Amino acid sequence: MSELFVELFSEEIPARLQINARNELKKNIKNFFIDNQIKFNENFNVYSTPNRLVLHVDKIPNEIKLNSEEIKGPNVNAPEKALEGFIRSNNTTLEKIFKKNTEKGEFYFFKKDSRKIKVSDLLEKNLSEIFTKIAWNKSMKWANYDLYWGRPLKSILAIFNKKPLNFVFNHISSSNKTFIDKSLEEGIKIFNDFNSYLKFFKQKGILIDQDLRKKIIQNKINEIIIKKNIKIEQNDRLIDEIVNIVEKPMVIVCDFDNKFLSVPSEILITTMQSHQKYLPTFNKKNNLTNNFFVVSDIKDTKGFVKLGNERVIEARLSDAKFFWEKNKTQNLVKQVDKLKNINYFKGLGSYFDKVQRMRKLSSLISDDFLISKDKIEIASSICKVDLMSDLVGEFPELQGIVGGHFAKFQGFDKEVCLAVSEQYLPNGMESKLPKKMYSVALSLSDKLDSLVGFFGINMKPTSSKDPYAIRRMAISLVRLIVENEIKIKLKDLIVYTCSVYRDQGYEFDTKKIQNELSDFIIERLKNYLKEKKIRQDIIESSIFLLGLDDLLKAYKKSKCLNKNIKKEIGFETIAAYKRSSNILNTDEKISIETLGFADPGLFKNEYEKKLYKKINDIRKYFLSVSKDENYEESLKILSSIKNELNDFFDNVIVNDEDIIIKKNRLELLNMLCKTFDNYLNFSKIEA
Amino acid sequence: MVSKIKKKTLSFQDTIFNLQKYWSKKGCLILQPYDLEVGAGTFHPATTLRSLGPKSWKTAYVQPSRRPTDGRYGDNPNRLQHYYQFQVLIKPSPKEIKKMYLNSLSSIGINHEEHDIRFVEDDWESPTLGAAGLGWEVWCDGMEVTQFTYFQQMAGFECKPVSVEITYGLERLCMFIQNKKSVFDLIWNDEGITYNDVFHQSEKEFSAYNFEYANTDILFKMFEMLEEETKSLVEKKISLPAYDQCLKCSHVFNILDARGVISVAQRAEYITRIRELTKSIGKVWIESQS
Repeated sequence: MSELFVELFSEEIPARLQINARNELKKNIKNFFIDNQIKFNENFNVYSTPNRLVLHVDKIPNEIKLNSEEIKGPNVNAPEKALEGFIRSNNTTLEKIFKKNTEKGEFYFFKKDSRKIKVSDLLEKNLSEIFTKIAWNKSMKWANYDLYWGRPLKSILAIFNKKPLNFVFNHISSSNKTFIDKSLEEGIKIFNDFNSYLKFFKQKGILIDQDLRKKIIQNKINEIIIKKNIKIEQNDRLIDEIVNIVEKPMVIVCDFDNKFLSVPSEILITTMQSHQKYLPTFNKKNNLTNNFFVVSDIKDTKGFVKLGNERVIEARLSDAKFFWEKNKTQNLVKQVDKLKNINYFKGLGSYFDKVQRMRKLSSLISDDFLISKDKIEIASSICKVDLMSDLVGEFPELQGIVGGHFAKFQGFDKEVCLAVSEQYLPNGMESKLPKKMYSVALSLSDKLDSLVGFFGINMKPTSSKDPYAIRRMAISLVRLIVENEIKIKLKDLIVYTCSVYRDQGYEFDTKKIQNELSDFIIERLKNYLKEKKIRQDIIESSIFLLGLDDLLKAYKKSKCLNKNIKKEIGFETIAAYKRSSNILNTDEKISIETLGFADPGLFKNEYEKKLYKKINDIRKYFLSVSKDENYEESLKILSSIKNELNDFFDNVIVNDEDIIIKKNRLELLNMLCKTFDNYLNFSKIEA
Repeated sequence: MVSKIKKKTLSFQDTIFNLQKYWSKKGCLILQPYDLEVGAGTFHPATTLRSLGPKSWKTAYVQPSRRPTDGRYGDNPNRLQHYYQFQVLIKPSPKEIKKMYLNSLSSIGINHEEHDIRFVEDDWESPTLGAAGLGWEVWCDGMEVTQFTYFQQMAGFECKPVSVEITYGLERLCMFIQNKKSVFDLIWNDEGITYNDVFHQSEKEFSAYNFEYANTDILFKMFEMLEEETKSLVEKKISLPAYDQCLKCSHVFNILDARGVISVAQRAEYITRIRELTKSIGKVWIESQS
């Protein structure tokens, strides 16, 4: 049993490309072993540092045995040359060729003996192709070469059974050597097995295994935070990035001047995390502290690294503080007029136009939400002013949040500040959802204005392109409504938004927008429900009879049915519906038109009457609940028809000789189905 | 008593000399700045045009770079509307370029064994040049000091062979070397002249020009005229003069942008217009190279 050990040495490959390359290499090598029926240790791993992509697989046999097989050659009637070629390509002689009949005629055959193949030969033949198959998310070319790789590839070390594998991958020949010094690409050393390689680098403090690096970083951080009585925010994305941009992680605690803590913490955190990849720390009360972690790739023996990073953060935070001090005192209300100078979108006016529309829209929404009209109008007016600030220029990802801080500083009402701060939330499926009604109202009017506007100027997303993230906007709208359980008339709001646009001189085709946007939003609701793991047939059924104004209802009903479909109330409800509709479907083909009204005067027995009464009870129930329907209760009531329905089917023959009686019984069943439609259209549910 | 020899601080101009000497020894042709306003060293025809076509090329030069929107009237310690880049362009990209780069840092006193030098992903794109490349920004103890890019595309054409471009932000680098918090405190030479002495007034006045006084009506007209001139020179198949006119277009656009008179939508349109010019020039240039 032997090990395969490969190292692909390159210039620094970015974190996310490394992760992707590791997965690709792992998949490709696994497929190679499986396709060639070579045994291998399936728990193998691919490792990487920014410069080294390392593959290690062990428990591989040195040889594999290929069984004897008959190889089919040309037809016996084929020209002689074909046979000669066949003999040549199989490296055999005429004596070993025999004829054999097949379904398609008589052919020449050659029996290949069972033989042994060296795995090392197979690897030498195939590794190059395995590397070529790595699908990089982003790759490049360099110098005069034609090879695409994440970053310039410099050398390949490939060992099998402690011996070098020799092959050529584009312009690079494999060997048993690599560079020890990744920076200068110097210090060539021979390695013949994975363990000595790992050990050698470990002695230099270099950890090839990314999981080990992660552990070391986390342990070191934990050690310090316990000592300092601080904590860090769980941020897997940042940690995973840091792990993959160092090879010998050294955690350094740095600090910045306390005076910067007067700047809103979001600004400080963004500066540290996304710009510098530092880890900010918090005290027990969750307030930001002036300590932060830097993960260095070098031991800071002279203190240069700490000093340098502290200077960098000082400069960046000075910038941020300078802008914060300058911007926070600039009167938000007085600046609203200046929004006329910035374009919102070509064909949709300036940001001033947009906030005017949002003001009207949110004002209308405030009636439904029972919130103060004045407050939401103020929030709408000032909400985009921060776009003109230096701070948002510097930190575009903090738009809204920064505005909220300005508003707070300038003494605006707490709810107004929060609404400004949360106006862009939620931003897609995963993002945080605003809960306060002012925030919801502002976010809703922002999104509605954008959606109507973009549909109005026909900038709808296509199946492949959505440059303005309109889908995400609509998904966010759906989330605002269903997750906050808001009852609003979205249809009317769209019409109203169109009229607000019209007041500003935009001529939109209201009918068209209403239809298209309605379909678009319902499509997003379907996606949303799918994300919530609701069965596809339930999703389809739930929106079949419900419209744009019933997003919340559709969500709740489908969620409830999804939850109960395997339970008695769900199961029995569907069974009752299916049993009835099946008869209707077969009989309707015989051309009896049913309207859904049975005539009690035509009933011949108790079972019909009882079923009729039960259906009417259910109808009364649906008439009485309408607003505060408890959907589980509704399902329970629907399923309770089981007894009456069973008795009916056990004792009544629908297909009566008298066509009038037959029709009346069909009417009764149709009545049942239509009553069930009050919940949702069960016809699309798969039993 | 033996007096300690105080390590001399490397001045701004010495930093430039050292880099020039270093890259000169590596075989780079030392050029002088291009005599037009450009936004970055990349716009120098010695990079833009020379990176196109099959011929080998090695150069290094300082390029004053103008970014009108970055002006802060000389009030901000880290922002300038005019600053210097040191630019290296080598085609095809040499195998040992990283080693060469790290040694160039040693030539200005930054030893990579004492500092945390990091190659952080930063893919580069210039919409006006129709250019794109993959590479890194290089961090030294957390500070970005260099852009390191392998050109993949220039003026809309695939680069073959691929050039490597190394761009040092000279002020940043010197602030690091001289341990200064403000760019204006940088020591320019050994006579004690500072960056402030040389450029503070200029930053103040040009910020006023870029943000307040530039006559936008005239500039809009100039853009049209320069664009027309570029097109007519492209037709005459003289790529270098055409490229000059295109650079002027680009600068006029940058001032208009700083003046805040270009809306988001217009912005995209102007960028497209400049890109189209660059592409047409690139085509003429490539034809002239074969």
